[in-house]
Amino acid sequence: MSDQFATDAPDEAVKLALRRIEEATARGEGSDVEGLAFNQVVVNMGPQHPSTHGVLRLVVTLDGELVKDVIPVIGYLHRCKEKLAEKRTYYQYIPIPDRTEYVAGMNCEWGYVMTVEKLAGIRPTRRAEFIRVIMAELNRIASHQVAVGTFTADLAPLGTAMVFYMFRDREHILDLLEDVSGARMMFNYFRFGGVRYDLPDGWVEKCRDLMKRLPKLIDEYESLVQTNAIFLQRCMGKGVITQQDVVDYGITGPNARASGVARDLRRTRPYSVYPELDFAVCTEDHGDVFDRYQVRMNEMRESVKIVEQALDMLPKGPVQIGSLRAPYVITPPPGECYTAQENPRGEYGTYIVSDGSRYPYRLKYRDPCFCNLQLFPKLLRGNKIADVVAISGSIDLVLGGIDR
Amino acid sequence: MALEIGTNPMDMDAIAARLAAAFADLQDVRVQEPDTVVARCDKGRLHELAQGLKDDPEVGYETLNFIAGVDRVKHLESVYHVYSWKTNTYLELHVEVPRGKAELATVTDVWPAADWHERESWDMVGIRYLGHPDLRRILLKDDFVGHPLRKDYVDLIENHPHV
Repeated sequence: MSDQFATDAPDEAVKLALRRIEEATARGEGSDVEGLAFNQVVVNMGPQHPSTHGVLRLVVTLDGELVKDVIPVIGYLHRCKEKLAEKRTYYQYIPIPDRTEYVAGMNCEWGYVMTVEKLAGIRPTRRAEFIRVIMAELNRIASHQVAVGTFTADLAPLGTAMVFYMFRDREHILDLLEDVSGARMMFNYFRFGGVRYDLPDGWVEKCRDLMKRLPKLIDEYESLVQTNAIFLQRCMGKGVITQQDVVDYGITGPNARASGVARDLRRTRPYSVYPELDFAVCTEDHGDVFDRYQVRMNEMRESVKIVEQALDMLPKGPVQIGSLRAPYVITPPPGECYTAQENPRGEYGTYIVSDGSRYPYRLKYRDPCFCNLQLFPKLLRGNKIADVVAISGSIDLVLGGIDR
Repeated sequence: MALEIGTNPMDMDAIAARLAAAFADLQDVRVQEPDTVVARCDKGRLHELAQGLKDDPEVGYETLNFIAGVDRVKHLESVYHVYSWKTNTYLELHVEVPRGKAELATVTDVWPAADWHERESWDMVGIRYLGHPDLRRILLKDDFVGHPLRKDYVDLIENHPHV
């Protein structure tokens, strides 16, 4: 082993943090904490910190217990997913989007497949559209369970009780997804013009059964946390995202909706069969940590409603257009296309430039977490160090998507 | 401030026509269904145009969605994708940058969200955004050599001393 990893030399982010402290000292700024000599400390949080849910690294500058500055450092999970697209045909690339936001693989795959379909002018079959909606919404519930479960585990008063309840029930959803696709998380299930397999026998009944039980389970989760005084105290009024932040930084998804912005791409930029389905866009008013938690809980209930409706409306017919071989070779005409779909974390966009060949010329993800993370320095400044964990948990980051 | 999402009172062609009339710097304005206006602009005019687009009272592209750097071989391109809350539509702005001197004015002072997107574009495609407050690499490590999403990028083992 070379010693190159074991260096004590500060990297660019730490140097930047130290430089900012020097500048603040030179300006003659004092401590915000009463009775404290001006003495700022740089704390490196992550990339292996248990509460960052992945390899997020935050270089936090502390003034006593207060956060003075935060520099997020990302890229530890960079797996060249945009570069990979250059050397893979459109068809070969389908499994890769799963690995961007790996807790919501179905949604990410859909985003990619939808963009290529739009570029190439393919219309999926109607049955496939409903199956896609069902899969995406099931995955949304599973994703929110991970988000809220790990977030409550970070807050300590409940210990790991909630996360176990949620992961227990998430496993039932993953079982359903495994039954159709063969995989728990890396699905590789969507195809241009449809989906890979039709639903197996008895799957619809199994899914209906789970959807009947889920609302009660969600009530159970809520009864666990919402009566807990410590939980409420740590959540209420902390880490407020204003509507101006939403506009300035392109915050999307539950984080924006918790601030009262009723922007849900399933409604505001409708795609697939969502216009035919009846569901509410969940919003809250304050934009604090608690509201973001609340929006996710409500969205789980709405997703259950959507799945039930889609199961009722599920038409008969093929799940693929044409023959199965047709979508293997696909050559969209030259041009570029951007489509966005409502991922559990926000606007998950895929921008593809085609040069008319079998390979995407340029593929670019607009990842919701990447945009949401950018707000961190502004959001965390002035909070206490203990709240950094609560606030970052409530934003719900998935590093696979941020680092791509 | 109550943020309302517009219902696109004008149709797309009207928005495109309005933009073409209001901003002389916008070239090749066309509509991409269902809700995107695509246009080009000269790199020298970008900053002024960005501010104008943001402040436009009727359309007002207030949110920067993302910036994509694209290597078109003959030149590089910085693609700005912006969102208008008032009309619930997008604008896709293509700015050509010469390969030899890949420099462009920053728009971080117009759209704060541009900060990381410009860093990513610099990291991946090597477009230098002049005036950016902190133009460091973002996804790749600090001592990485080259810009991997350029079409002429060659991955040399010498560039990876840690491996």
